[in-house]
Amino acid sequence: MTRKRSAQINLNRMRKHFVPKPLAIGVTSVFLAACADDRQDAVIYKDALECTNANPEHAQTCETAYAQALEEAQRTGPKYNGRNDCESDFGANQCYAVQQNSGSFFMPLMAGYMIGNLLSPSRYYYQPMFTSYSPYSSYRYRWLTADGYDYGDLRKRRYKVRPDAFKAKPTVSRTIKRGGFGSSVRAKSSWGSRSGSKGGWGG
Amino acid sequence: MFRLPSQPRANWQQKAQSFGFHFHTMYGEPYWDESAYYQFTLKQIERDLEDPTEEIHQMCLEVVEQVVRDEALMARFQIPETFWQPIADSWNIRAPSLYSRLDFAYDGSGHAKLYENNADTPTSLYESGFWQWLWLQDKVDSNQLARNADQFNSLQEKLINQFAQIAQFYKSDVFHFACCQDTVEDRGTVQYLQDCAAEAGLDVPFVFIEQIGIDETGRFTDHQDLQIDTLFKLYPWEFMQREEFGEYIIESETNWIEPLWKSVLSNKALMPMLWKTFKGHPNLLPAFFEDEKHHCDSAKVVKKPIFSREGANVSILQDGKIAQSADGPYGEEGFIYQAFHPLPQFDKNYTLIGSWLVNDKPAGISVREDSSLITQDMSRYLPHIILG
Repeated sequence: MTRKRSAQINLNRMRKHFVPKPLAIGVTSVFLAACADDRQDAVIYKDALECTNANPEHAQTCETAYAQALEEAQRTGPKYNGRNDCESDFGANQCYAVQQNSGSFFMPLMAGYMIGNLLSPSRYYYQPMFTSYSPYSSYRYRWLTADGYDYGDLRKRRYKVRPDAFKAKPTVSRTIKRGGFGSSVRAKSSWGSRSGSKGGWGG
Repeated sequence: MFRLPSQPRANWQQKAQSFGFHFHTMYGEPYWDESAYYQFTLKQIERDLEDPTEEIHQMCLEVVEQVVRDEALMARFQIPETFWQPIADSWNIRAPSLYSRLDFAYDGSGHAKLYENNADTPTSLYESGFWQWLWLQDKVDSNQLARNADQFNSLQEKLINQFAQIAQFYKSDVFHFACCQDTVEDRGTVQYLQDCAAEAGLDVPFVFIEQIGIDETGRFTDHQDLQIDTLFKLYPWEFMQREEFGEYIIESETNWIEPLWKSVLSNKALMPMLWKTFKGHPNLLPAFFEDEKHHCDSAKVVKKPIFSREGANVSILQDGKIAQSADGPYGEEGFIYQAFHPLPQFDKNYTLIGSWLVNDKPAGISVREDSSLITQDMSRYLPHIILG
């Protein structure tokens, strides 16, 4: 008999009562799970020179990946309206101003980059790494990714990571304006009391 | 097709609580009603609802094809001119659609008659895809319904699969989800879609429509300043296109769910276009634009705003006079006229069938009842089964 309904629904996944609310930022999957077999070696270098010194035969890849990581850092790194806010999170002189048409904002300097699969010049992976020198930050002297994953102490450079550690992080922007959607609802809601209405705008 | 009384599950409210179904009762009125259910035969489901749903969807796509190639039609559909080309573009690349709901009048025999296509922001999805599924499961487990009782409802399975397809199409695995503030029902619907997308392996951040921002590169952002690549919005296209941020929609390069071309389908002008193109089709009711309504030879007609949700501003005209109407905030963009075809009655209730599509595949039905001929958002939702 062919069934006309969904064969299986995972009820535990559908329960809401005890499921904690998803946390805002800084939560990514755990890459460092010791049991995963698809993990690969990855190393954090402070800059292209450090990478080249360790891998002279891959100097070109070190350079290219560094440039790419810098670009990625600017796209995905945290952005602040004021220097003080940025320095309070990342430490004195750890932030730089970015000029754009609509004004300027501040970002932490890239502290290093993680590189994986370096031996393959066309299929290497990279991602920018940040760190904090601020006494006010719980990330002080720790390696951080753009989306807030904490890789641990700054002195540790070699890691086993799952491939998705290098997945592109979402772009962090500076929003210049909000609230440009939703006005029709306000207008349509004000015509009357819609007594007993559930007030949804679906259909 | 029967309406049969049924014993509500003793613990169902508690269960609703634990699954996060928070809008089963609203303003003291029941919305989810399991004191009865509808029973269909497999033949009724497949021949009278599933097959016509698939066919009508294809007919609707043919109308989209016509409209996007014809500026006069775009204007008739009240689509702002700046969106004509982008809508055509989104159609030409076949930007993937997630879901739609066709509303039918059907009483168990004869041809189901299409009332309208909710192609952009259909709700009652959670009740359909999950909650009525669970109801049947419980009823069968407690031996109150036969073990071979089935349900036309593969929604959840198909939604999960379609999210995976869309992610593949856009090469994107972070989908933002949005609806308006202060609406429990819409939030519940969107949460359900988030759950389905998460099952497909996607990251599913939520943002309220009112919180959406724009950054200096012209991309939309969420409340945490993350750029929005792909956005599911339970908010009508016809609103978005006319609001302040409407001007950024195109340049933002957002992947939209539903895609822009759905503006053609979620528009009541679709109904006269369907009738023009497929005149006499057994599932269609004669329908006309305002300037053609003299072609309508039925004495009783239904007047519907081009843009409308949940029955608002719909009126029933008898020989040109209003016989019954529902008020609301819509209508400034004009009306269409559809031959009157009453909803069937089961125990004094007017019954409306919603027939779901995920992308272009029929995926199940929902049954809603109202005490009035015009089904509005305070109608009740009843589960259904297939037996025999």
